Amino acid sequence: MAKERQANEEDESGEFADFLADVSQEIAQRVESLDPKVAPVAAEAKKTPPTAEARKTPTTADAGVITEWPSIVERMIEEMR
Amino acid sequence: MSVVNYGTREITCKIVYYGPGRSGKTTNLQHVYSQLPEERKGKMVSLATETDRTLFFDFLPLDLGTISGFATRFQLYTVPGQVYYAATRRLVLQGVDGVVFVADSQARQMAENIESLQDLHANLAEEGLDPRTIPLVMQYNKRDLPAAEIRPIEELDETLNFRGVPHFSATAVTGGGVFETLRSIASLVLSRLSAPTAKES
Repeated sequence: MAKERQANEEDESGEFADFLADVSQEIAQRVESLDPKVAPVAAEAKKTPPTAEARKTPTTADAGVITEWPSIVERMIEEMR
Repeated sequence: MSVVNYGTREITCKIVYYGPGRSGKTTNLQHVYSQLPEERKGKMVSLATETDRTLFFDFLPLDLGTISGFATRFQLYTVPGQVYYAATRRLVLQGVDGVVFVADSQARQMAENIESLQDLHANLAEEGLDPRTIPLVMQYNKRDLPAAEIRPIEELDETLNFRGVPHFSATAVTGGGVFETLRSIASLVLSRLSAPTAKES
């Protein structure tokens, strides 16, 4: 993990690199502090089959994909009227 | 609320830039976008009118790569500042993790700043979010304008920042203060990262 961070930092420069370094540090601390308490809960949750509602909703947020897009478009159209 | 998802190894945080029309919200996002290395540049979605006013919202996905084994993404949004886009502002605020309030430092824009701040509070409350506790950072933009036209920072802070949250001077058009603001809100949001409950997983 440390290697990942180092690799990330080496690739960047300037303001974004500083930002990324700070965020990385913050996340590393946060993840570490939460991990021991949470791991069993997450593992337990995996065993539970997803509900129909959960299956419909994309769970992997990808860069550029707005999961709530359809409702946003509807509201846009509504506002334009 | 932003969550560390140990199942999918993901962290996603939604940050909304709020403020009156023409205060510089889109300019903030444009500067962030301009500083991204090529390989990290996704698509910045910007819906603007012919006169360059934000029509609905801007959206900038910030893929920070894998940090501590987690795919980390920040989603930066702006809201349209114009009063008549109230429904869109409420919509963009859904699921927000942190807010940057971009205030216009010009003396003649003070009423608009106050109105927009009140609008933010009302919309957060409507979303079931507590305006007194949600991560918030104030940015006093347009500090490059002549001193006679702008309010001193202390005065802006006294009028707008009653929560005493971190505040930053900015000249978003040249990038001044933009990343300082982003770093601050990111830090506030990340400090509230929580583990998913069984229900959320």
